[in-house]
This record gives sequence, structure tokens and C-alpha cells, in this order.
Amino acid sequence: MIRTYIYNISLYIVMLAAVLLSTQTVTAADSKTTAESVWQQGVKAYTDKEYDRAVECFEQVVALGYGSADVYYNLGDAYFKRGQHNISGTNRPFAAGELGKAIINYYRALRLEPSMKDARYNLDLARDHTNDTEAVPQALLARAWYALRDTMSSNSWAVISVVVLVVTLLLVLLYLLSSRVVLRKVAFFVAIVTAVVFVITTILALSQRAAYLNDERAVVMCNDTTPVHASPDSSSKIVRQPSQGVTVDVVREHGEWSEIEFADGEKGWIRTTAIERI
Amino acid sequence: MKNVFLKIALLLVALNMSVAAWAQVSFTAEAPALTAMDRPFRVEFCVNNEPDSDSFKAPTFEGFDVLAGPSLSTGHSVQWVNGRQSSSYTCTYTYVLLPTASGTFTIGAASVKVDGKSYSTKPFPVEVIAESDAQTQQQHSVPSQQRTPESRIAKDDILLRFKLSNTDVYKGESIRASLVLYTRVNIEHLESVEVPSFDDFWSQEVTFDNAPQREEYNGRVYETYKIAEYLLSPQRSGRITIEPAMVEAVAQVVVQDNRAFDPIFGGRQIYHVTREARTPAITINVKEFPAGAPASFGGAVGSFTMQSKMPESSIMANTAESIEITISGSGNLKFITTPKIAMPESFEVYDTKVVDNVKVTASGTSGSITYTYPFVARSAGEFVIEPISFTYFDTATGEYKTLSTERFMMSVADDGSSKQEAAIVGGYADYGGRMKQLDRDIRFIHTGNLPQRAASVFVLSPIYWLIVVVVLAAFITIYAIMRKRIRENRNVVAQRMKHADKVAVQRLRMAQRYMQEGQRHHFYDELLKAMWGYISDKFNIPVSNLTKETIREELYRRQVSAADAEQFCQIISRADEAQYAPSTDGDMGEVYADAVEVISKIESIVKR
Repeated sequence: MIRTYIYNISLYIVMLAAVLLSTQTVTAADSKTTAESVWQQGVKAYTDKEYDRAVECFEQVVALGYGSADVYYNLGDAYFKRGQHNISGTNRPFAAGELGKAIINYYRALRLEPSMKDARYNLDLARDHTNDTEAVPQALLARAWYALRDTMSSNSWAVISVVVLVVTLLLVLLYLLSSRVVLRKVAFFVAIVTAVVFVITTILALSQRAAYLNDERAVVMCNDTTPVHASPDSSSKIVRQPSQGVTVDVVREHGEWSEIEFADGEKGWIRTTAIERI
Repeated sequence: MKNVFLKIALLLVALNMSVAAWAQVSFTAEAPALTAMDRPFRVEFCVNNEPDSDSFKAPTFEGFDVLAGPSLSTGHSVQWVNGRQSSSYTCTYTYVLLPTASGTFTIGAASVKVDGKSYSTKPFPVEVIAESDAQTQQQHSVPSQQRTPESRIAKDDILLRFKLSNTDVYKGESIRASLVLYTRVNIEHLESVEVPSFDDFWSQEVTFDNAPQREEYNGRVYETYKIAEYLLSPQRSGRITIEPAMVEAVAQVVVQDNRAFDPIFGGRQIYHVTREARTPAITINVKEFPAGAPASFGGAVGSFTMQSKMPESSIMANTAESIEITISGSGNLKFITTPKIAMPESFEVYDTKVVDNVKVTASGTSGSITYTYPFVARSAGEFVIEPISFTYFDTATGEYKTLSTERFMMSVADDGSSKQEAAIVGGYADYGGRMKQLDRDIRFIHTGNLPQRAASVFVLSPIYWLIVVVVLAAFITIYAIMRKRIRENRNVVAQRMKHADKVAVQRLRMAQRYMQEGQRHHFYDELLKAMWGYISDKFNIPVSNLTKETIREELYRRQVSAADAEQFCQIISRADEAQYAPSTDGDMGEVYADAVEVISKIESIVKR
């Protein structure tokens, strides 16, 4: 009787999921085909070095709601290349604003898929062109922890943690119900290990989720250099002149000014229009 | 003694004469090339040797009135410098002439004889202009005696001008700018000279010939003195203004005194008048280079040639070699950017050495610059050095000109050590543990089909909680079910263990009945069932898994003595043997009694 009950519950879950998915697919059925064709156009334009067109296409894909990590990554590449090409008549290595756009899109790709190596490589390369300061160096343990966290997305960690939970519970059952002593002993110790793994993976999933939902991070988007003032007032002292593409944390907003914090801990006020949140 | 001195003196005089006689005879004429109508001027004929008497013949001064002359003056000087004696002798015939008409007149050749040989001067032209006499007239309208010394110098008697070689130039093209003082009065000295800073120009002072000259300006004749000369090179395009330069000149004014004829106090009075002169501000139009500059253009303006010195076409690896490029010509050599050479990736390139041999003269900057590009080839193979280009802007034709070297092929021979030296791995060149990044670019975009839209965050989402709850519920349910079953199972076993002896007793009773009936086969069968069944039930082991060995083990584990276990097994063996063997009735009772005894013994031990 209990078995039929469980069966019914799982049936309901499957049906619920199916209904949710089908409603989404019905509304997005035609936009899916449009997005697909625009995406292919973008890839072709980039391959043909028509970076203006490539940027336009990938932006359109994002606007259609298909902003996945790969789309943001390609968009970042397109902006980067466009920035390198549209520099006729200037001595700058990048056209105004393009580098910042490239960097923010790499960040968006990494936010969705922290393990994307290409995006991280390109982000590092793009940030070499900014005057961004080095972050305060972290302890070895913290760095190892973040490196581990960033090997997978929050969802992957969550799925792993649920699987590990199931394994742990099965082992607990074995321990509780087995009549053979050896089996029970093995089950007990393995269950302890898997329980620890479950706790770690759950924390990783939560930590990754927090990083994903963090909307404090922003990228400076101005043309050349924008002054960062000591207080929200353009006549106050200039603390720093970040170039486009510098990553900051937004602490708070006040009127049309935002208080930002640089990677090295320096704080200042910048016009909110000069930055864009990741 | 005196005699000796006299002799030496005489000898010296004689030497002197001979030295004078040996010197090259020169006979020259000197006169200003330009003069004004009412201005008397001097013409001097100069000979550096003693002429024969009355041998001087003056030319005819056509177009001029001779006011005075010829007046003869001679000069003789002897110099001892560091023990060497030199002497000079000059004899000058001077005429003062007054032009009678405007135009260009030629003063013909004068001739003179020295030691019987005839010498003559070259004829030379003198230009006479009619000045615009407004100021001159005004000056003379006031009696000279009533005028102050200051007022004797008119405003335009002292002028300062910048003379520029060109005022419409390209960026980087050089302009010669001379600061010239124009004067119609005697200048004693200059008090102060202020030169502008030449903003937006690269400026360099150059040496110049400061001999005074005469020049016509605004219809009047001036003496000109160069004060300074600069070479200017504009650094930006557009209209650039040169700020005024300023000079304070002290002029000498000679005033005939009222008591001009007073032999003691009268005569000429000399006054010093200080005047300030400024140049007008000058604007220079600097043109930007035309569009379409080649990539190799680095701001060079002028006209240049390029020579290159390549290394041998076959070199050894890990040996220092260099490429030399020499750019020579005239133009803004100092502002040329170093030409770029695209070296193969495995070449280690060092800082370029620049040696310049540039002279700045009034005619511009010229000379040569040599660039040395040292490099070390780290790996063997065939390499190509692409043509090295240098582009300059030719101001004469107004277009870009590109000079290129030939494409250069080079083979690098292995010196035996290059294998561990250079390995190019993933964009890095590894030179003995020192990693050097060659070139970096972003990685290519991701292609393929449109990826799935990003999934929403799963952890802590309702579905996540649902799954966790379902998993936990499943766990609890499975546990509950399994536990109940196990418990029930355990009860069966307990029952069986509890009833093991009773079952055995029942079976033994059956066996006793068979014994009394004399059915041997059934008796042993039932006896064996009782014994096997007892162990099976008691220790919860299926009968199929039981052997004598397992029975012994199980009994041993339950602290039954080895002798009893042995007896138990023996009874089973005996029963097995006796079951099918024809035997007497007597041993049935014996086996039965032994079985009952051993079972009750084991039961009493196991129960404890």
C-alpha cells in the first residue's frame, strides 16, 4: 500500500514538471527558432570578422531570453574583437567602451558556468588591458576552496549533493537493517564519509548560489577614465581614475552616485551611469 | 754687445721685408651692395702688400659723385704668437661716393702694381634705391640743433624681425628662423635680448654668420645684424603663433654742438639712446599629413635613404647576431620612430641600440641614424625576415615614400645545445626555465547549436526541497517497512529456537514408537531428523547448509565441550550407517538413549 503511495507521488512530480515545461515551450516555441537562427548568424558574422554584426546578433539572442554562458562568452569575444578593430585614428589599443562590455560579458558567462575555462582565460587577458588593481591576496586554503567551488556550477553541486544524500541514506539503511556485522561496519564508516561529502557539496552549492545571486559586482563602463570621488559630489577630491573594464563592488547608492569598492579595498563614489552591474 | 743687438734687429727687419714680399698678394674692393639715393658711402680698395708708387688706377665711378678720395692709408702689424712671427701690411685707397641716380651701377676694376706685377679687383654692382622720403624729410624740417637726441632716432630706425624660411609647412618639417635687427643708426650694444619660448616647436639654436649686411626693407636701406638663428620644427598641426621677441638696443647719436666752431668746448656731442624693438607676432600654418599613411610611417619628414646590414645568411644557433639599419638624409631625423622588424618567434630579441650622427645647421638637420637590432636565434631551422619598411613624408612632392629592404632568408645551424634551450609550448617560449610569452589573443567563440537557456538556481528551490523531502520520506518509509519485516522474521526464529527442544522431543517420541514397532529404517530417519532439525532450529541455520563440521563449529562457539560435540556427530554417523545396514535390534535402544542424553546436555548448556 505504501509502495503505491510513493508511486503516485512520483507520478505527480513528473506530471507537474511536464506541465511546467510544456507551458514554457508553448510560449517560446517560435522564439526558440528565431534565437537559433540569430545565433547561427552571429557565429558566421564573427567567423567572417564582421564584429559589429556579431555583437548585434548575440545581443539579440540574449534579448530573446537565451542568454546562456556560451552566448555571453561569444558576446564578450565579439565586443573584444570589435574594440580591437575600431581604433582607426586613435592611439588606444581599444575603442571606447568595448573592453568594459567584453569583460562584463565574460563575467556573466562565468556566473552561469563557473567552470568555463575559455571564459576565464579571455577574462584574464581582457583584464590585462585595464588598470585594475590586484585583489588582496587570499589565504591558500581560501583560494583552494574557491578553486574547488568554481569547478562546477551551483546546480551541478546541488545535484551531486542530492545523489550523495541518497547514497548516504542507503548506507544508513544497510547499517540499520543488515544482520552481517562486517557489512554493517563497512556501511557505517562509508556512510560517515558520504555524509561529510554531502555537507561539503551542499555548502559549495549554497556558496555558488550566493555568488550567482550577488548583484553587488559591477564593471566600469566609461570611455577612457572616469574620476572616482571621495564623496558623491563632482567637486570633491578624486580618489582614483579607473579605466574601462575595472571590476568593483557596489556598496550602496545615493542619488545618481554609487559608492564602490575596488579589489584592493579602496572606496569611492562614481556616477551610477558609469558602471554596469554584472 | 750693442753691436750684436743692432745686428739682430737689422736681421729681423730684413726677414720682415722678405716675409712681406713672400706673402700672397691680394687686392680687393669693399663697398655696400645696397645704398640709398642721398646717402654717401665708402668704397675701399685694399692691397696687402706695398704697391709700387703711383701704380694705383681707380675705376670710373659712373652714376656716382666722388665726394672725397682717394685717400691712402697704410697699416703694418707684426705679431709674435708662441714664438712664431707673423706680420701683415695693408694699404687702403678710400673713396666717398654719393649716388646721383637710382638703379644698379657697376663699379669697375681698379688696378695696382706690386713689384712690377699688375693686380686688379673684380667689378661689382651697387644697387641704389630712391627711399620713400617721408620720414627723412620730416627729420630735416626741424633744425638739427633744436632736437633732443631721442627724437633724432625715428620709430622705424630700429626694427626687429623674424625672418622665416617658410610659413606654410608640414608637421615636422623644419623652418629656419633668424632674428634680425634692422637699423639705420649706429648701435653701440644690445642691452637685453628676449627670445620667445617657441611653444609647440622643437627648436634648436644654430650657428650663423654674423657679418652685418645691408638690406632694403619698406623701401628703405637698413644695416642688418643677425642676433640669433633657430631651426624650428612644429610638433602639431594647425596655426601656431610665434610670440614676439624683444631687444633693447643702445644707439649712438652724434649731435653737432651749437658751439660747433668753438675750438675748446665746442664740437661733437655723443649721446646714448636706448630703444626697445619688438618683432610682430607671426603665425605659421602647419599642415597635417595627408590621409592614407602606410603602417610603417612614424612621423619622419624630409628626404632619406636607407641602408641595411644583414647578418650572414647562415648562422649558428645561440650566437649573438644583429641587423643594422641606417637611415640617412635630411629632415627630422631626431624624431624618427625606430623601424619595426618582425623577427621569427624563436629569436630572442634584445633592446635596439640607436646611434645618431646628426648635425643641426642653418640649412636643417641632416646626418644619419643607425639602429642595431641584436638577437639570438634559439633554435635551428630556416627563417625568413620579412622586408623592413621605413616610410617618410617627402615635403617636396607632398607624398609618402616607403623604403624597404629585401626579404631575407636565413638558415640557423644547430650548435648541439639548442634542444634543451628553446621549446615553444602553447604560446610560450621556454628558454632554460625562463618562460616568455610570445603572443596572446582571446580564444575563439563557441560554435554549434544554440545552447539551452540557463537553468534557474536549483539549490533551495521548491523542487530541491521537494526532492530532499521525497528522499527523506522514502528513507523513513523503507526503514519502517524493512524493520517491521525483520522484526517479524526475528520472532519466527525466536519461536523456532524456543521450540527446538520440543520439536526434537516430539521427533524422538516418534522414533521411540518406531523402535517399539521394530521399523528400523523409519526409526533412524526420525532420529536423524530430530538431531539435524534441533541444530537447525536452535542456531537458525537452514538444514541444507548443515554439515558435521558446521555443527562442531556452532557447538564450539556456544561453549559446548568438544567431547559432547564429538558424541553428537558420532551418533549422527552411527545412525547414518545403521539406517540401511541389517543389524540387531539392541543398538537402536542404545543410540536412542545416547541421542536423548546428548541433546538434553547441549540444551542445558546452550540455554544458559
